[in-house]
Amino acid sequence: MPVNRILLVDDHAVLRAGLRLLLDAQSDLHVVGEAEDSRTAAMQVAALQPDLILLDLSLTNGSGLAAIPSLRAAAPHARILVLTMHDDEGYVRQALAAGAHGYVLKRAADAELIAAIRAVLRGEMYIHPALTRRLLEDLLPQTPPVSPWESLSEREREVLALVARGYTAAEIAAQLNLSPKTVETYRTRGMEKLGLRSRAALVQFALDHNLLTPA
Amino acid sequence: MNTMRVSHRLKRWATAIWQVIGAVNIRAKILGIVLGLVVLMGVAATIEVRLLLDQTLTTQAREHSVAVARDVAARATDLTLMRDYYGLFRLLRDTQANNPDLRYAFVIDSEGAIIAHTFGAGFPAGLYDANIVTSNEHHRSVLLATDEGDVWDTAVPIFDGRAGVARVGLSLAAREQTVAAVTSQLLITTIMAAAIGITAAALLTWILTRPILQLVELTKAVTGGDFSRRAQRWADDEIGALTDALNAMSDALAQAERERAEREQMRAQYVTRIIAAQEEERKRIARELHDSTSQALTSLLIGLRSLADRHRSPDLRRQVDDLRGIVGQVLHDLHALARQLRPSVLDDLGLAAAIQRYVADCRARSGLTIDLAMPDLNGERLDPALETALYRIVQEALTNVIRHAHATTASIVIERRDGRLRAIIEDNGCGFDPAALRGDGDLGLNGIRERAALLNGHLIIESAPGNGTTLYVEFPLLASAEESYACEPYSVGR
Repeated sequence: MPVNRILLVDDHAVLRAGLRLLLDAQSDLHVVGEAEDSRTAAMQVAALQPDLILLDLSLTNGSGLAAIPSLRAAAPHARILVLTMHDDEGYVRQALAAGAHGYVLKRAADAELIAAIRAVLRGEMYIHPALTRRLLEDLLPQTPPVSPWESLSEREREVLALVARGYTAAEIAAQLNLSPKTVETYRTRGMEKLGLRSRAALVQFALDHNLLTPA
Repeated sequence: MNTMRVSHRLKRWATAIWQVIGAVNIRAKILGIVLGLVVLMGVAATIEVRLLLDQTLTTQAREHSVAVARDVAARATDLTLMRDYYGLFRLLRDTQANNPDLRYAFVIDSEGAIIAHTFGAGFPAGLYDANIVTSNEHHRSVLLATDEGDVWDTAVPIFDGRAGVARVGLSLAAREQTVAAVTSQLLITTIMAAAIGITAAALLTWILTRPILQLVELTKAVTGGDFSRRAQRWADDEIGALTDALNAMSDALAQAERERAEREQMRAQYVTRIIAAQEEERKRIARELHDSTSQALTSLLIGLRSLADRHRSPDLRRQVDDLRGIVGQVLHDLHALARQLRPSVLDDLGLAAAIQRYVADCRARSGLTIDLAMPDLNGERLDPALETALYRIVQEALTNVIRHAHATTASIVIERRDGRLRAIIEDNGCGFDPAALRGDGDLGLNGIRERAALLNGHLIIESAPGNGTTLYVEFPLLASAEESYACEPYSVGR
């Protein structure tokens, strides 16, 4: 059985020791080196050409995110698995965009880490299940608007365009020479016709339909 | 009772008059007084002079007519006695030639017949009886009103009445001409005096009102908050004293305003420093929890896993699994605590990512539907202080919605317009009356207002009971912000 060579990049020495203990206990995994900042990591990667880099996102001198491209350049065939505290989807996106192959949360390291390492070594992507859902929400179809923009009256369109641009009811009333009450009526009716429930939904609708273009 | 009614009526009139006089400006008042006085004096003097002149001239004319008549009577005595009609006629013609005012003259003999007269075309009817003198009278004068104006008709007995009567009629036309000439002269004088009076009054009012109008401008400026204006002191009189007093007041107000502004600025700086220190402290603690405590716990977790892997005893494995469960929970809680203190996303990835994360947490925690749109913030970083302020404001506003609004849907929009950043937090909850909301206990809105003000932003609240609430928080962006959004009016597409 081939032994996969792993490089640990984490600024926490105790954690690195624990990880080495855990991984070396696996017959197919072997820790070949450790680094605590991105500069050392790049040197180690170039020298050792590991099969997998286990990378923390917060390092002593700067972000692990920023280090990913240089690590990839130093060892193009090495897989990169992010092991971090951050459970925000923003980090996941940025890490994957930078070239990482997997994303594991430290709080789930005991249960998932080894499976994740093996998955990534097999050439798969591994992302912590709780984060996958948030990433996939983007792909799910949004509740579709039922009625097109053209079905609105001229006034309703005027009012909604200004609502979408972030004007207050008072400002819209002044601009269109209407009473705030009337503005509210046009707004409610127009939103109902479009099947939108809030201003944010309206803004999104306007963006999707390219309705707010600079004059 | 009656006097009371009269005094009441007087008072009413006085009020009515004052309403008219009081409403016009000082210039009109002074001009009115001067013009009134001049015209009154002129008219009174004219009337007086006319009356006096009329009287004097009438008396003079009468005396003249008596003198002429006596002269005629004296010179006609012999002619009348001799019945020299031609001589009489010549006498009358000569007299008329010497006195241009003489309208007529005639002589009546002792029998009562007219023996000579100056009327070419017949003797006028009624003239004869208009003035009958008796023989014991020295003379008798009667003022006759004729077609050609007033005439003094004087009858003088000739030779004590024994030879008849001489009568002359002296016209008063000269008197009328003189009176008219004097009157018009007086009127011209009056008009000239009025003109001079008006000029003088205009000058006076200009002198009086100019400093007053200047003082009015000054007080208006002070009312409008401009304490830098000072009025010029024109004269050393009461108005000059008023000017000094007002200037001193402006000085004092300007000083007070400066001090107030300084205090306000110091307070704002102080609050800014406190907020910055608080954020810094939270960031430090959150990082500490993240970087040290959590890493140590993760090490523990991994160590426990290694321990379980190396030992086959089911008892021990179960215990180790329990411990791993506890450590995992502690890690989770610590992470949540760190994020509550200050999410690292805010510093690492920026406002949009932080708000997305916070909104997701809120949805999960509260069950509230929250729509989020940040069309203009494509991962771009803003000023860190602005990002922190907006994040905290959104946090505070959403907390309000969840706690107080009884809403089912909330919406957050962050947009850029005309070089300004606007966050709009809206809900469909119970709403409230913004006008009734001043002072303390106002749902943390003061905190939002304060945070906004520290970055030159401001808060607008639109809400009504039963109609949801919308908060608009607007900040100016720095000049380096993208130009594409600046000052561009937007039109409806399609």
